Order: sequence, then C-alpha cells, then structure tokens
Amino acid sequence: MKKLLLQFLAILIIFYATWFALNSIDWMHIFNVEQTTKKTEEKLGDFYWDLLNKTESEIQSVEVVSKIDSLLDRICLKNNIDRNKIKFHLLKKDEVNAYALPNNYLIVYSGLIDECENEAELCGVLSHEIAHMEKHHVMKKLGKEVGLAVLISMTAGNGNAEVAKRTLKLLSSTAYDRNLESEADITAADFLMKANIDPEAFANFLFRLSKLNGNIPKEVFWISTHPDSEERSVKIIQHIKDKVIHKDSILSIEQWNSLKQEVNFK
Amino acid sequence: MITTQEFQYLPSEHEAEKASNSYLMSLLAIIAGLPLPIINLIATFVFYLGNRKGSYFVRWHCTQALVSQLTVLLMNSVGFWWTISIIFSDEVISGRYISYILTILIFNIIDLIATIYTAIETRKGIHVKWWFYGDLTNLICKS
Repeated sequence: MKKLLLQFLAILIIFYATWFALNSIDWMHIFNVEQTTKKTEEKLGDFYWDLLNKTESEIQSVEVVSKIDSLLDRICLKNNIDRNKIKFHLLKKDEVNAYALPNNYLIVYSGLIDECENEAELCGVLSHEIAHMEKHHVMKKLGKEVGLAVLISMTAGNGNAEVAKRTLKLLSSTAYDRNLESEADITAADFLMKANIDPEAFANFLFRLSKLNGNIPKEVFWISTHPDSEERSVKIIQHIKDKVIHKDSILSIEQWNSLKQEVNFK
Repeated sequence: MITTQEFQYLPSEHEAEKASNSYLMSLLAIIAGLPLPIINLIATFVFYLGNRKGSYFVRWHCTQALVSQLTVLLMNSVGFWWTISIIFSDEVISGRYISYILTILIFNIIDLIATIYTAIETRKGIHVKWWFYGDLTNLICKS
C-alpha cells in the first residue's frame, strides 16, 4: 500500500513538474494570443465606428467637444489611463445613452449630456464606460454573446451586415451582466475620487433615473437597459462612505450651461 | 513504466481477445470522450461490468484498463471545465492555461501509446503490467 501511495505521489510530482516546466515558456507570445486579440479588437472597433458613422450624425463643434475632452483629460490623467487611446465621439441623438465599443471607442449621445444636471454626473457615466474599457468588458461581452469565431469572421470581411448591426445593437442597448456592471460602477467611483470629482453625483444620477421606473421614456436607454439602478446607486454610496473626497470642478458653471445649451436640439 | 510478466496461467485465445478488447474499448472511448472526458470512463466501466464474471485474465485487464483512465480523466476534466469557463465566463486564456493543456496532451499521448501497445501484447496472450496501475489492479482484482 505504501509503495502504491509513493507511486501515486510520483505521478503527481511528474505532472506538476511538467506543467511548471511548460509554464516557464511564454506561450502567449509564441501563439501570438495577445497580438491576435488586440488586432481583432482594433478591427472590430473601427468596423463598428464606420457603421455608426454612416448612420448617425456626429457633433464635431470644437466648442462642445473640447469641454468634454477636458473632463476626459482629468479622469485619465489622475488615473494613469492613456487619454490618446480613447476615441471619443459625440453623436447628435435624443437618447440618454453612452457606451463603449471595442478598441476604446467611447460613444456619447447628446441626450445624455442634456439629462445630466452637472459635470460630475456626466463624469460618472464617462468613468463607468472607461471602466468597461479598462476591465476589458467589451470584448468579454461580445465573445460571450456572439462568439469569437463570428467576431473574427466579421473582421476578415466575411460577416454579413445584419450580424454587424445586431452586435452593434447589443453593445449600444443592452447592459453587461450584473457582476461586470457592478465592477464598472465601483471602478468608476474610484476613478472619480482620484480625479477629485464627486462620485455621489454619479450615484444620484442613477437614483434619479431609477425613480423614472415604470415611466421610463423610450429615449432613456442607458437606464432602461441598466436594471437595478437604485441598488447600484446604494452600492456606490456604500463604497464611498467614510472616504475623504476632494471636489474640484473642471468646467465653470457658465461653461457647463453653455455645453448643455449647445447639445440641446429639442 | 510497462513490464511484461508471466501470468498465473496461460490464457486461452478467447481470453486474450476479450482482455485486449478492454483496451481497445478504452482507446475508442478516449477518442469519443475527448470533448466530455466522463464518457470514456463510463464506456470502460460498462465494459468492465460486462466482464466482471469473466476469467481472471480478462477481469484483471479490464480492471487495469479502467483504473489507468482515472488520472487522465481527472486531468482532462480540469482542462475541460477550464476551457468552458474561458468560453462562458470571465476567465481568459493565459500562459498557465496553455501549458496545462499541453501537459494533459502529453499525458494523453503517453496513455494512448501505452494503451495501443498493451492491446497488441494482450491480444498475443502476453500479460502487460503498468507501473502503479498494475499494482493497484492487483489490489482490486483477486484470482
């Protein structure tokens, strides 16, 4: 019996030694795993943006974009995020919506800015979407819901337009699963605190929109597709409780008001 | 790792064929069961049940074919669920995962070669005893 146990132990040792030895080789580099994933993400992002660019109208006014850029600059700078990698686009649309596309495309609809009461609320939503990018949630969601094979075939030019439209709709109008949303909320709150922006405003924004419950206009996409908003706002409040928060506004009241006016097309 | 020994008696042609079939059964089951590793164990277990009242030579080799799959089954099951979690959950492909898959691939190839060799030798009536699994079989299978 002792001999058997020793032999079994030897099998375990051989197994772990083989695994350990093979683990010392950089397989990710050899099989180009990271590079292939990155290339697929780049191609997909560009592909979706082209699709969106053809159907939606983009607001390119320097006056408007520079103000949102200054908000993004603060969030990125204070959180060591490379600002240049984020491709921000503001679309002229009434929907209260913002979403991240592969390859760090950040799409914001003018309706969202119109709905925000102050810059901290808008920064909250921007931080939430940046958190999805930083945590690689976009590709995870696509991979899970559509399948990597379909995504790769789309980037190779074999995908049909219907599939592309369907997957774009998936990214723009459906939430991530509960765990990913929660992770993005908490990360966003951390981003905001580091950037000296009030995270409570983000929680208030979620809470305010959750009160529209049952009476949500079709246009309020961001909240109707992100259920349990009240619960999420409570979680954010709990997370920031007892933390010292410095508040340092980025835009002046006049600049914020003029931004709201410039995107109001009603 | 694999030794050929004198068996207690000289098995008949019919016994050698049945004993050899138990390895062929596990071989086919490994191939069929690769996507879902439990299938090969079930298939070999069913074959073992069918022959548990057979002669000692047949029973011994059916038992060895069965127990020799247990470790590979464990390794393959971990690999299978790891892959599933990569496809359906937040797990990502890592160097650790690739090296694990390569490790179980090596162990599966060794198991495959050993199984083919044993099936051929057993068919000739030669008693083939595997390292560890042979002793374990001796413990389980009594004449």
